[in-house]
Amino acid sequence: MAGPAPSIGRVHRLERLINLVAALLHAERPLTADELRHRLPGYAADHATFRRAFERDKEALRDLGIPVVVEPVDDAAQPSAMGYRIPKEAYYLKDPGLAPDELAALHLAASAVRLEGASGVEALWKLGGELAEEGPSGPLSGFSSPSTLAGPAGTAMAALPGTANLAPVFAAISARRRIGFTYRGRARRVDPWRLSFRNGHWYLAGFDHDAGEERMFRLDRVESEVLATGDDAAFERPPHAGTQPPPWELGADEALTARLRVDAGQAAWAAGHVGPEAVESWDEDGSVVLAVRVTNRDAFRSFVLGFLDHAEVLSPAVLRGEMVEWLEALAEAPCLR
Amino acid sequence: MPKVSADERLQRLLALIPWVASRDGPRVDDVCARFGCTQAELVAELELLFLCGLHPYTPDVLIDVDIADGRVWIRYAEYFERPLRLTPAEGLALLAAGRTVLAGSGADEGGPLDRGLHKLAAAMGVDAGEAVEIELGAVADDLLRTLRAAIGASRQVEIDYYSFGRDERASRVIDPYAVFSAGGQWYVSGWCHRADDERLFRVDRIATAALLDSGFDPPARPPELASYRPGADDPRVTLDLEASARWVAEQYPVETVAELESGGLRVTLVASQAAWLERLLLRLGPRASVVGGDAGVTSSAARRLLARYQG
Repeated sequence: MAGPAPSIGRVHRLERLINLVAALLHAERPLTADELRHRLPGYAADHATFRRAFERDKEALRDLGIPVVVEPVDDAAQPSAMGYRIPKEAYYLKDPGLAPDELAALHLAASAVRLEGASGVEALWKLGGELAEEGPSGPLSGFSSPSTLAGPAGTAMAALPGTANLAPVFAAISARRRIGFTYRGRARRVDPWRLSFRNGHWYLAGFDHDAGEERMFRLDRVESEVLATGDDAAFERPPHAGTQPPPWELGADEALTARLRVDAGQAAWAAGHVGPEAVESWDEDGSVVLAVRVTNRDAFRSFVLGFLDHAEVLSPAVLRGEMVEWLEALAEAPCLR
Repeated sequence: MPKVSADERLQRLLALIPWVASRDGPRVDDVCARFGCTQAELVAELELLFLCGLHPYTPDVLIDVDIADGRVWIRYAEYFERPLRLTPAEGLALLAAGRTVLAGSGADEGGPLDRGLHKLAAAMGVDAGEAVEIELGAVADDLLRTLRAAIGASRQVEIDYYSFGRDERASRVIDPYAVFSAGGQWYVSGWCHRADDERLFRVDRIATAALLDSGFDPPARPPELASYRPGADDPRVTLDLEASARWVAEQYPVETVAELESGGLRVTLVASQAAWLERLLLRLGPRASVVGGDAGVTSSAARRLLARYQG
């Protein structure tokens, strides 16, 4: 159809951006700003005007995640000149090789879950576009259509809050780069291992170099920007222990098996919480007796107190005695006014 | 369709070009469906693409676009042979969404979503299960299934519900509107016939749910129900925490926090629900003292619990 369109000022910005990406991706060596001004249609001849437009274009590309790098041109004719380039290996998506049903399942997931401040749509375009609703053999076994996954008025099945540092932390996790940030008033240097969403908050687990051990950080409590430092692949991620044991098993107290009665009203919830293998018996009145292994007595006491007067430690005598002692001390505490 | 900016159009084009170029004339309507645009919009983008290519923009180095018989071809765009890699934010959004659906459905182990997530994570240099972990709150799968079935069929359910804040259990018939997870908890929203009003229930506080034969007319637009938000009139309690109880400020929605010379904290919390405050104070025990608000809460709750052990 059309031929070259070098008429300055009449070139659509989108066209200029595509040509810019093409030129920088195709370049054998870094191209100087001057070279780009001469080669690309749509840039002003006036230096200051060009510079403003070029800076804005570069920012737009970087905002989209396009890796525009600045390097020495390395040309005898222009010593010390710096130029721009997009390294192919940093630009090109490594094809995950998704099968159509896998892509469809990801699409469904992205439409069912809303992560505040992020959208899965652009990612899906890159992976081959959004798939139209598939036929009866839906991509998610157990769900007939996305509507059963959806919440109120077609909103998400789940909403995850976002926090400012989520994306940079995830970038550092995938590149295995050390990060630095301020937390509770102290500067931290951390090897980031994993993001966890639990109890409604995002946590970072990683190795804290100043503490010399693994730590969890609540991301919305991070008091600074998160800055990655040093090289990629700077550490090995240890294998993840998987499901956390309950808090009353995270301790070094002498191991005891506690028997706990929970009244009917909360029996089902309690049994579900400790798991079916901990259920000793169900009584006719609907209450349940649980047998729970305890190596952290403080945590166990907190768990039991959560039931208020709807639960009772039955045995062993030492645990029952400790509970009574704790309550007696509180019952007698003077009223502070 | 809302007007999209040049940057968003660029993003779409950079994904669309490699997809079309690597295929032998895909159908225009398929391209439109995948990349979320109308046929007119697609044609406009492609007309612009005719003008793009490499210096000196002579016909031999321009991108070649053909539209014929409802199909489209893009050639001579080798430098666009692959889409742009995912940004960390995009990768995280997809992984988190996928992990959330896996966590929330209990389905699909080894299924398409599970497989897709592992491939995607591997392409980003992480392990799907290890880099992003999602816990939506433990609830029984069969409860979620019953509630979803009721919503799908617009049938009422009878739930045996424990109100945590009021420490009270009751049976309620509800018209369920939606099940969803927010802030790490599962909720079902709906019309409660006991309260004769719209209500939001926490699924983990439902002991049993029975699907009833009676149906209901779902509202055209279910209301957005917020979960509990403190009101200005709700009572406040001020606590002095020992250093070992500083975690309270991390885990509870405190309104004010001040450092104490002892190394502890003075915090103010909204305590509109008595049972909730009792639990907190009983657990903290000697590590907290009430310095503002009802100071007798701890001892009276402790005496009530003791009665059970002494009875």
